[in-house]
Amino acid sequence: MRKLTMLAVVCTFLFSGVYAGGYQVGLHGQKQIGMGLVGTSLTFDASSMFYNPGGLSFMKPSYSFALGVSPIRSFTVFRKNAPSDYTASTDNPLGTPFYFYGAAKINDRLSAGVAVNTPYGNSLSWGKDWDGRYLIQDLSLKAIFFQPTLSYKINDYIGIGAGFVFATGTFELSKALPVTGANGDGSVSLNGSTSAMGFNAGVLLHPSDKLDIGIDYRSKITMDVTGADAKFTVPATLGGNFPADNKVSVALPLPSNLDFGASYKATDKLLLAISLNYVFWSVYDSLIFDFETNTPALPDSKNPRLYKNKMIFRIGGEYTVNDKLALRAGGYYDPSPVNDMYFSPETPSLNNIGLTAGLSFKPVEKLSIDLSFLYLMGMEADKNYTPDNFGGTYKSRIYIPGFGLTYNF
Amino acid sequence: MLLVAVSCEPKLDEFVPSSGSADFSKYVSLGNSLTAGYADGALYTSGQSYSYANLIAAQMKKAGGGEFVQPVVTNEDGLLAGKLKLEISTNCLGVSSLGPIPAGGTPTGYPAALAPVGYAVNNFGVPGAKSYHLVAPGYGNPAGLLAIPPTANPYFVRFASSPTTSVLADAFAAQPTFFSLWIGNNDVLGYSTSGGMGDVITAPSLFTLALNGIVAQMTSAGAKGVIANVPNVTSVPFFTTIPYNGLVLTEQAQVDALNAAYGNGLLGISFQLGQNPFVISDPSAPNGIGRRQLKQGEFVLLTLPQDSLRCAGWGSQKPIPGQYILDENEVAAVNVATTAFNQVISDLASANGLALVDVNSFLVNAKSGLVYDGIRFGLTYVTGGVFSLDGIHLTPRGNAIVANEFIKAINSKYNASVPLVNVGDYPGIVFP
Repeated sequence: MRKLTMLAVVCTFLFSGVYAGGYQVGLHGQKQIGMGLVGTSLTFDASSMFYNPGGLSFMKPSYSFALGVSPIRSFTVFRKNAPSDYTASTDNPLGTPFYFYGAAKINDRLSAGVAVNTPYGNSLSWGKDWDGRYLIQDLSLKAIFFQPTLSYKINDYIGIGAGFVFATGTFELSKALPVTGANGDGSVSLNGSTSAMGFNAGVLLHPSDKLDIGIDYRSKITMDVTGADAKFTVPATLGGNFPADNKVSVALPLPSNLDFGASYKATDKLLLAISLNYVFWSVYDSLIFDFETNTPALPDSKNPRLYKNKMIFRIGGEYTVNDKLALRAGGYYDPSPVNDMYFSPETPSLNNIGLTAGLSFKPVEKLSIDLSFLYLMGMEADKNYTPDNFGGTYKSRIYIPGFGLTYNF
Repeated sequence: MLLVAVSCEPKLDEFVPSSGSADFSKYVSLGNSLTAGYADGALYTSGQSYSYANLIAAQMKKAGGGEFVQPVVTNEDGLLAGKLKLEISTNCLGVSSLGPIPAGGTPTGYPAALAPVGYAVNNFGVPGAKSYHLVAPGYGNPAGLLAIPPTANPYFVRFASSPTTSVLADAFAAQPTFFSLWIGNNDVLGYSTSGGMGDVITAPSLFTLALNGIVAQMTSAGAKGVIANVPNVTSVPFFTTIPYNGLVLTEQAQVDALNAAYGNGLLGISFQLGQNPFVISDPSAPNGIGRRQLKQGEFVLLTLPQDSLRCAGWGSQKPIPGQYILDENEVAAVNVATTAFNQVISDLASANGLALVDVNSFLVNAKSGLVYDGIRFGLTYVTGGVFSLDGIHLTPRGNAIVANEFIKAINSKYNASVPLVNVGDYPGIVFP
């Protein structure tokens, strides 16, 4: 354990992301992160707007503000299918998911607020020269969600809530092209941005003082990027086949989520919680690059993904030491949504086991300093992207410290 | 700090190369131009470095293999022959397009080309060699170059240990623990690449005798090895690039004029709008005029001067000379020989416990396309990426693909774990 703690501390501060399955990110509240990312049935503060808007009306303070950031340091290693002695590892830039929540009780029953966070993203770099460079070199997906939210407590036992989601996103992708010129490989880089809309709705049931049950649904949002820049660098004589300043349209679906959670106050000091998160990943059927100018060498490119719907199991607990200190721990199992036949190094999402710890310290009654740590183990597996005949063994380790503040009054 | 950083990364077990029941400490390769690393119509420095034999040797080195020395040509422009490059050129119609043209430069000519390399080599690939050449004494004797027909080969003269030695004798004298043998291509190709003229297909009995002799000698001191067979000509772009019906007529006036010139169909020669079979020279054509149209299954060689087709009326008003054609009888003879040679090779492999690389089947399957690490290959000329600009020899990536087929066969036969090469580490055809 001490070794693990040391590793966590050291690796974190070396600083650098892929975390939850696929390109979904589950880092939206330091308290929830500390408890295995369980959140659906918890009513800590304004962060309920993301985890379950139905729970917002159950928060105790009149005003609640929370902000936080979770820098992600991720490492994925790769060994090519045997017989090969080729290995590679990612040198991922630091991913920085963040959140900001502000909510207020309008009256005893109605609460309102706004949430800003980053539920989806991916940033990875395999380098320019690695062996999978014709599949992917660098990728960055970033999405920021703005969610104005209303929550209504019907009675002491049931609260409902919903938020409208406005999402903005950017993507950048670069890969090598297998055409050889005097200076080596050709290359293509794509980048674009877009915005889209969706919603988040939930119900919180509070049948007794000890038990909370939450159900939350977050809608699918399709990020349709049209007219993104597609820059090709190829030998001059192939310029006609790969117009230098082409445009591309691409649609990336952000899957819907159905979450169920329950939490139980075992004692005055001990809170236990579980949740089941069902992610509708099957919407990610294929990644299609629709180029504005097609040529015989540059048709639109349809890349199968065939993701599968997956259930994530989470468990966590919180122990309130005293008025100033609460400790948390948790864990979860997040199976890979990626189809075994179509596992691309662009999103090397493995079966993940997450271990979490966290604490909150209240120097004064209204302010809470929230810290968390998530250690994510991507379990070693042999995977292939069959259309490109590229595969091998992947394994990943991800270190995510989280820092947050909550101000309630 | 580095140690700390490494510990953050997850670890995967390392791949452990092994030689299995083989011993790669001294590997020698025997063969022809393919083994030598000939490419783009020439033997030149970088092309040699990408020879499949050199690539295999580098991988064997990870499994106990030793140094692999090639008779290096210290001229990137070529030895004797100059190489081709891809460049935009203007044809006789004034149309510019991308195609192979002589790369120029200054290839090493006679007599410098014959200068002995002065060291012992591991790669006994000799451009132009046929099966029986490998066992022929004096094949490296410069005096034999002047004989008619020549009894020596300038490429072997460079590294033959003596004027009287043979390729086989030198290869055996290197005391290999492991050898590769890929020979036989020229036994049919020499015939085919000359359009069946000026060369003959090696008699199966002679081929059998030569190969038995080579394998018997090479295995006599306990060496293990791998042997590869001969691809069918229909897998090679040298034969498949120009279609038999590549005469495209776009104007009715052309069609009418040609039909009139050939007796309006009475001679069995007729034309229509669109694609038409080329007219070739065939002294035994049944119409008695020594010309006929090509049939499906017959091949036009890549060496055919394209401007003669475009501007000199070849293939329509004038027949294409037979030296550029592999006609149906010749194709049949080549197929029979290829099948016979490959049977000999496969029998020898089983009788001597050698690994067998079925290059023939591999290329037949490769016609529908190959994909390695996101790189797509085919057997088409230039765009396919496997064959170099001469349409017969391999690109560096083509050599890597072939090297991997050898390695797979070796691993399988000898229960070895020689790592494959990364195809993407090597250049494809270079576009300007």
